[in-house]
Amino acid sequence: MDIDKLIADGILRPFAGGSLSRTDLSRPLVVLNPRKIAIEADTSEQVRLVIVHTEPNEAAIDLSLAAGVQVTLTEICLAGTFTEVRIRQAEQSSCRIVAVQLHGANTAYRIDLAEHGAENDIAALFLATDSEHCVVNLSTNHLVSQCTSRALVKGIAAGRATGEFRGLVYVAPDAQQTDAQQQSRNIELGEGHIIAMPQLEIYADDVRCSHGATVGQLADEAIFYMRQRGLSEDDARRLQIEGFANDIVNRCDIAEIREFLATAIAEQLQKL
Amino acid sequence: MDNNMLLSVKNLHASVGDKEILRGINLEVKAGEVHAIMGPNGSGKSTLASVLAGSDKFTVTSGEVAYKGENLLAMPIEERARRGLFLGFQYPVEIPGVSMANFMKLAVNEKRTFEGKEPIGASEFLRMMREKSAIVELDAKLTSRAVNEGFSGGEKKKNEIFQMAMLEPSLAILDETDSGLDIDALRIVATGVTKLHRPDNATVVITHYQRLLDYIVPDVVHVLYHGRIIYSGDKSLALKLEKEGYDWLINEYKD
Repeated sequence: MDIDKLIADGILRPFAGGSLSRTDLSRPLVVLNPRKIAIEADTSEQVRLVIVHTEPNEAAIDLSLAAGVQVTLTEICLAGTFTEVRIRQAEQSSCRIVAVQLHGANTAYRIDLAEHGAENDIAALFLATDSEHCVVNLSTNHLVSQCTSRALVKGIAAGRATGEFRGLVYVAPDAQQTDAQQQSRNIELGEGHIIAMPQLEIYADDVRCSHGATVGQLADEAIFYMRQRGLSEDDARRLQIEGFANDIVNRCDIAEIREFLATAIAEQLQKL
Repeated sequence: MDNNMLLSVKNLHASVGDKEILRGINLEVKAGEVHAIMGPNGSGKSTLASVLAGSDKFTVTSGEVAYKGENLLAMPIEERARRGLFLGFQYPVEIPGVSMANFMKLAVNEKRTFEGKEPIGASEFLRMMREKSAIVELDAKLTSRAVNEGFSGGEKKKNEIFQMAMLEPSLAILDETDSGLDIDALRIVATGVTKLHRPDNATVVITHYQRLLDYIVPDVVHVLYHGRIIYSGDKSLALKLEKEGYDWLINEYKD
């Protein structure tokens, strides 16, 4: 199953950008290999958006959510793409993002929570193998009061690859009652190397913010547990890494995309 | 060799670092038997279970273990499992992102492949999951969740016995399967273990409490103290230990 097939089968509907107010949203929209695209989410319907990079482009994506709009965005990098995604959220809007890098690439998310009550949730995964270099930049900007943000970024670096996460939560002076969490969880395999730098920059005093980063190896206890049930050591390791990755993939709200990603990840891990 | 002999442990010594924890264990378990191993904290009960399962946290320094007549200590962890040795963990491990169903399917098929059987079919597997989860009243929804993740203490222990039911081991070693269970969960777990008991398999339960043995009636009760089995008796021993504690035995048999 590949993305072209999902489009040909009518599971995903191609979209070229612009306003969503007159777009048929009964099926998820897909944007394939964008260079520069602006999307206006100005509809009362739930929006499901998929962006897929299969070519090593430079891409600039602008997404703006009008008041009260709910968007889920899945972005998948299958090539050495350099992308910047700028998201602006108006009052009471909600944006849930699943971002997956299965190839050395560089993705920057800049999320502006620009009006009261906006909510953002991003779950990202990068899987760096061979001598690839994966970079995920995330800056979540709480510009006004009473906005919520959640970020979970998981990384795997295997072989001689490098995986890099740079995160910033910015809380403006007026952004009281901000609720922000940013977590980075990483696994290093072989000579893989992780750089994880979550940061907070807070100028308001009535806020709830937390951040953290861990870098570890596979859990020996879990390997022992699985082998005690009869799995080989290799299978136990592979399953644990798959599980670590699928925790992000499973948050995607489109079953066919989940399946596509799980298969792509499993194939990549077979090579380790 | 006695054909009914499943496990024969002779003078087993094991250490972690330079600290000796098992100091000469002798134990024989035959098909159809239930053994209970009791003893104060730190006496080596969990270590014995881990060493038999093949944990590399411990080094076996001397002794022999025969399982179904073969040298258990030479087998990798997964081979012991595929040959029918099951360890019920005191602290079942959470494996995020790995579904119970997927995990169990792999485990069941490893065993079947080892036995020269075809992999299990999808519908037969689902039927088996339903049937076996009913034995321990495990909510069927839990089998679609990640392994042990977000399970309550009781659900984790039920899940161990569910896995035991799926894998139909010849020898199950249950390490404090009763700890942290309320009285209802204890009854369900213990009744589940009893239902799985057959003339051709055996169970070793490691426990602190006599109450588990009200349900799982042991043929032999062993007291492990300071790395050795210092006393073995019938089921009445557990009752006596419950009432009188271990001191009388320790005072008599300590070295």
